Amino acid sequence: MSRYDVNVILYKLKKDAAFRTRFQVSPRAVLAGADLSDEEVEAFVRWDTRRLNELGGSLHLLVSIPHLGGH
Amino acid sequence: MGKIVYAAAMSHVLAPDYYGKNVGPHGRKMVEELIDVVRDMGRTMLAARPDALVVIADDHLNVFSFDAVPAMCVRIGRFVERMVQADAIEFDRALDGLPERYPLHEDLANRILERGLEDGFDFAASWSAPLDHAFLSPVSTLCGDRPAPPLVPFWVNCFVAPLPMARRCFAAGRHIARVVADGPWDVAVIATGGLSHFPELSLARVGTSDPVFDRRIVRLLEAGDHEALCALTTKELHESGSHELLNWMVLIGAVSPARAAVRFFGEMGRIDLAAMEWSVR
Repeated sequence: MSRYDVNVILYKLKKDAAFRTRFQVSPRAVLAGADLSDEEVEAFVRWDTRRLNELGGSLHLLVSIPHLGGH
Repeated sequence: MGKIVYAAAMSHVLAPDYYGKNVGPHGRKMVEELIDVVRDMGRTMLAARPDALVVIADDHLNVFSFDAVPAMCVRIGRFVERMVQADAIEFDRALDGLPERYPLHEDLANRILERGLEDGFDFAASWSAPLDHAFLSPVSTLCGDRPAPPLVPFWVNCFVAPLPMARRCFAAGRHIARVVADGPWDVAVIATGGLSHFPELSLARVGTSDPVFDRRIVRLLEAGDHEALCALTTKELHESGSHELLNWMVLIGAVSPARAAVRFFGEMGRIDLAAMEWSVR
C-alpha cells in the first residue's frame, strides 16, 4: 500500500503552488520516483478523484486542492 | 475554584454562500437560521464573562500532514494565527477579513497539557498550528465584533485513521473538567463540527447525510445518555459520516452528566446542522 505517498502528493498539491503547477504541466514527471502503483499513477495522471479516493486518498485533501479540488 | 460557565456545540461551516452554491436556496436559508441561533448563543456565552474559551475541533488536513497526525493536540504559546492559504476553498475563504491573530490562554493550555501527562493523557503540543474554519467560523459567529476570550484550541483527529475512540474523547473531556475545577478560571467550552456528512469519507457519497443516526444522537444528548454515546464505535461514526462527533465527545465528557438543550437541528440533505447548549451553572 502506498496510501502514505498518495496523500503526501495530495498534500503537496494543496499546499505548494509551484508543485501544483508542475503537476498540471507534466504529471508523470512529477510523480516519477514516488512509491506509487501503476494504478495510482494513472489515477493521478487522469486526475480521477474518485479513484484516488478509493485508493486511500483523503477526501478532505481531494476536495480542497486549489483549481483541482472542489465539491 | 474554577468552573465551566458555558458549554455548547455547533456545526462549523457557517457559510451561506457555500451552502447556497452546493445545496441551493434551502441550504442557504437553513445555515442562515443556524447562524442567528449561534449569534444568540454567543451573547449568552459572553455574558458569563469567561476568562478562557476552550475550542475543541478537528483538522481538515490544513495544519497536520500525513507525516504526523496527533490523536489530540493542545495549542500552546501566547498567540495563534488564522490560517492563510492562497486559493483556499470557500469556507476557509470566508475567514478573510477576520483578525489574523488571537490571544491564547497560555496558563490553562499548559495546565491541560502538563496535568494530562500526570493523569495518563499524552496530548501532543503545538506552538505553531494555525486555526481554520473549524475553530474560527464558530468563534467569530459567537463573538461578532466583540473580542473573543483568550483561546485554548484543542484538536481531535477526526479524519486520518486510526481515530481515537469516542470513550477516550469523553475521558479527555473529563480531564479538562478536572483541570478547570482545580484552577482559578471561569471557562467556556465549545465543540464544533457535524452532524453527519461525508459518510465513509467517500467522494462518491458527498452530498448525503444520515438523519436517522443524527436523530438518535440528538435524543441521546437530550437524555444525557453518555454511556450510549461512549459506546459508539469508530465504524458507526465512519459509516454515518459522524467523524466530527469525536469533538463533541470531549465536550460531553467535560460537562457530564449535564443534558443538552437543542437550540437548532436541521436536516439539509448534504449535512445535518445542529447547535446545542448544556446547562452548567
